[in-house]
Amino acid sequence: MKLITLTLFFIFSSIALTHSQVSYKADNTEAYELYEELRCLVCQNQSLLDSDAPLALDLKKLVLDKLEEGKSKEEIKLFLVERYGEFILLKPTFTIKNILLWVGPLIFVIFGFFTTFIFLRKNPLTKEENVNLTNIEKERLKKIIDRELKE
Amino acid sequence: MKKIYSSLPLVFFFILTIFFFRQLILKEDPSELPSVLIDKSLPIIKLEKLAEYKLFNRENLLLLKEPSLINVWSSWCAPCKIEHEFLLAMSAEYNIKIFGINYKDDKKDAINVLKSSGNPFYAIGRDEDGIQSINLGVYGVPETFIIDANGNIRYRHVGPILEYDMKNTILPILNSIK
Amino acid sequence: MIIELGHYCLALVLTISFFQFMIPALGVRFNSNSLMKSSFITAYLSFTLILLSFFSLVYAYVTSDFSVSLVAKNSHSLKPLIYKISGVWGNHEGSLLLWVLILTFYSAAVALLGRKLPLKLISLVLSCQGLIASAFISFILFTSNPFIRLFFPEVEGEGFNPILQDFGLAIHPPFLYLGYVGLSVTFSFSIAALLVGKVDTIWVKWVRPWTLIAWVFLTIGIALGSWWAYRELGWGGWWFWDPVENASFMPWLAATALLHSSIVAEKRDTLKAWTILLAIVAFSFSLLGTFIVRSGVLISVHSFASDPSRGLYILMLLIFFTGGALLLFAKKASHLKSGSLFQPLSREGALVINNIIFASAAATVLLGTLYPIFIDAINNSKVSVGPPYFEAVFIPLMVPAILLCAFSPMLSWKRAKLENIMERIVAVFLCSIILTSILVFIYNGSASAFLGVFLGFWLILGTIYEFIMKVGTKISFKKFINRSLNLPRSAYGMSLAHIGVAIFVIGVTVSSAWRIDIEQPITIGDKVIINNIELNFLSVNNVNGPNWIAERGVFEVLQKDKNNEFLYPERRFYPASQVNTSEPAIMSNYIFDLYIVLGESINNNKSYTLRVYYSPFLNWIWLGIICMALGGILSLTDRKHRLGYTTKINSANVNK
Repeated sequence: MKLITLTLFFIFSSIALTHSQVSYKADNTEAYELYEELRCLVCQNQSLLDSDAPLALDLKKLVLDKLEEGKSKEEIKLFLVERYGEFILLKPTFTIKNILLWVGPLIFVIFGFFTTFIFLRKNPLTKEENVNLTNIEKERLKKIIDRELKE
Repeated sequence: MKKIYSSLPLVFFFILTIFFFRQLILKEDPSELPSVLIDKSLPIIKLEKLAEYKLFNRENLLLLKEPSLINVWSSWCAPCKIEHEFLLAMSAEYNIKIFGINYKDDKKDAINVLKSSGNPFYAIGRDEDGIQSINLGVYGVPETFIIDANGNIRYRHVGPILEYDMKNTILPILNSIK
Repeated sequence: MIIELGHYCLALVLTISFFQFMIPALGVRFNSNSLMKSSFITAYLSFTLILLSFFSLVYAYVTSDFSVSLVAKNSHSLKPLIYKISGVWGNHEGSLLLWVLILTFYSAAVALLGRKLPLKLISLVLSCQGLIASAFISFILFTSNPFIRLFFPEVEGEGFNPILQDFGLAIHPPFLYLGYVGLSVTFSFSIAALLVGKVDTIWVKWVRPWTLIAWVFLTIGIALGSWWAYRELGWGGWWFWDPVENASFMPWLAATALLHSSIVAEKRDTLKAWTILLAIVAFSFSLLGTFIVRSGVLISVHSFASDPSRGLYILMLLIFFTGGALLLFAKKASHLKSGSLFQPLSREGALVINNIIFASAAATVLLGTLYPIFIDAINNSKVSVGPPYFEAVFIPLMVPAILLCAFSPMLSWKRAKLENIMERIVAVFLCSIILTSILVFIYNGSASAFLGVFLGFWLILGTIYEFIMKVGTKISFKKFINRSLNLPRSAYGMSLAHIGVAIFVIGVTVSSAWRIDIEQPITIGDKVIINNIELNFLSVNNVNGPNWIAERGVFEVLQKDKNNEFLYPERRFYPASQVNTSEPAIMSNYIFDLYIVLGESINNNKSYTLRVYYSPFLNWIWLGIICMALGGILSLTDRKHRLGYTTKINSANVNK
């Protein structure tokens, strides 16, 4: 039984995943992806995609032209960073300088688990305590039994 | 041990406030940005000729061997009209060579402005679709760049140059790099 | 005259709330019941007077009294009545007054419902509330006074930001503040508990419903803001990870963690220090949000007109309250006894992981939001941290949380056996994988779409399965119905809220994975076809609104086998403030949203830039949030959580 379900799972997920390579957003996906990752410099906190500002429109045109020239996404980003600074990137680069930003979330989670681990190791749940219910628990247990009896 | 753990939040909060204080005290406008091209060589710009006015390119500036200004302007931009008289003053009185980039402008309108209010520019090039100015990291008009004798960008001024800016920033910088 | 009365009331409350802080504190110090009891009177009095003060400002707005500086700056006589009223809190000064109004409202509510709580605890809580109130009222009076008169009254107001004239936004701040400020109650309770040095069940039973109230309001408030951004900004998106949005999201994440940790604290008498810390952090995030929004230290689309001196004042408040609370925590927390224990694999264990994830998520949003400030200070460079970053780090954090959410309610308290629930997990897993595979295959989705849809199914099926198991299997249908009716409402609340999360996840995934954007110039008579929907651009008319004029585009929407409908996107011009805005037109149903924006006109009004967004299932996002909020409300109506209920048990115990 387990074997059958496992094979079924594999078939379905592989079908879904191979299929998934084709993107739905038609032809200029790359351009859209870039627009989303670039900041409209003259607006307050908007990406190029969201912006109608004249400079944003020019930058969009520039991105399209460069893509047609066959430049890669990374090359275009680099081109713009050289002119406008890293400020233009809405997704900061994955470099040593920004290491804190990128590993931060991981550190938070690890720290959380570490603290919990220490807490649990210091106070292990022994058999004895398992038997001794706290007062609140006793009260609750009594209530449950009462209710069951009523039913 | 427990004590250390329970004082951690306080420590983090303390560090946080230091940054806030710095940001508040500096009173910097977070949306104001320095140019990344400062102290870098002038990028290549391909401009088109505007009527009979002399055209320029990167090489012309490099061959000049003296500090100069690049001014990005347009006839439809109101602040450009304000700074126009100071540009004229700088080219006439202080004998500074100003290279104009006519940004996304109508040819006739641009010529009209130069004819009616005077031409402060040593040479002019047209950037019809604004793409060439992106090479300079331009956000909008007007913007002015100070270029030193070796063709490096030394300073960027965003917005119109008023009398104060001319006397207190532009001219002193030009003098210092002579 | 009325304005002066309001001004006077506000100044009076500054003194009263200072008494509300001092007298009960002295009462606790010298063990005097009558001093402690004074806190009730001051709490009611403060609320009444602030209410008067608030209404006087509302009156000035409604009657368009342009001799009041604030009204002259932010209102206009032509504004519709509802926006005149909402204009009261549509600016820095007025919104702070609303903030204080809500704060005193909560204090009065705590006083009213907490009459039977231990006097020492409740008077410390009210004392802390009084301190917060006096700090904020002094902030209003000294830096942001809404009652200042103009020496020369204006004839007409300067109007106010037209994109803020929207019903969703009109009611967004009250809800958001009810959430933000609601967290002050749990904050004060935590301070009181730390001062008393004891966290008992009464404390936890009181904190949980108040957290729930704040959480429900915060959820609704954030959703309203997001809904406004979606309909009004015209970018087709609804969440932009903007600093101001993040400022409201951080307290929400902390409150969500608090909601779950207080369950552990209540049921199992453990994690108490952590719960207290979360309560402090949650309210501190509210204060931090206030600081970010009003000080202008970060770039945002939504910030108030900012002023560094105000920023400094709020920073001082933040340091005083958060710093003070954390200092108290550092000193006292280690004395709190942790109660009963548990094994890693148990309901407690699962809830702890939930807490780790949500706390990390809140810390991550904080890091991303403030990172530009850090990096600027450290190596003087400017960076942007935008949506692509947050999406990249947030999704990996939330995926395990949702995976866990489906089966953690199945785990038993204290210690659970995986064998007992393995069968269910496998069943739910397989069902959701198969359903997702079929759907993603048919509709041709990406890997991330697969993941999102799978998580949605997993959570819905898991929650329903858990609910059925809780009622009981192998029993007659009648008995099943009977038993399920007898389940506590909090059980329904939890299931509904979790299903809401699932619906939300599906909405978010589908609406972004299958979204289609079109941006093109269009001339009258042209048509655009988007996903089998035909859009005909029929005409452009000029229309006049109450305080604007607009060009209104008329689009006919043709769908197969359906009646044609019309959409009217507008380009509005507000003469009072000389602002142009774009009003998107949205056709919305449970399957898709069709969102069109009429852009700038090109070639002398003959053609326009048209932007069309087709987002399937977008309404599921709002539906999911509504379910979450309803789940919270349902839990609140549970007998067990009803405010004041625990006091009866308490007094009964005493009688014994």
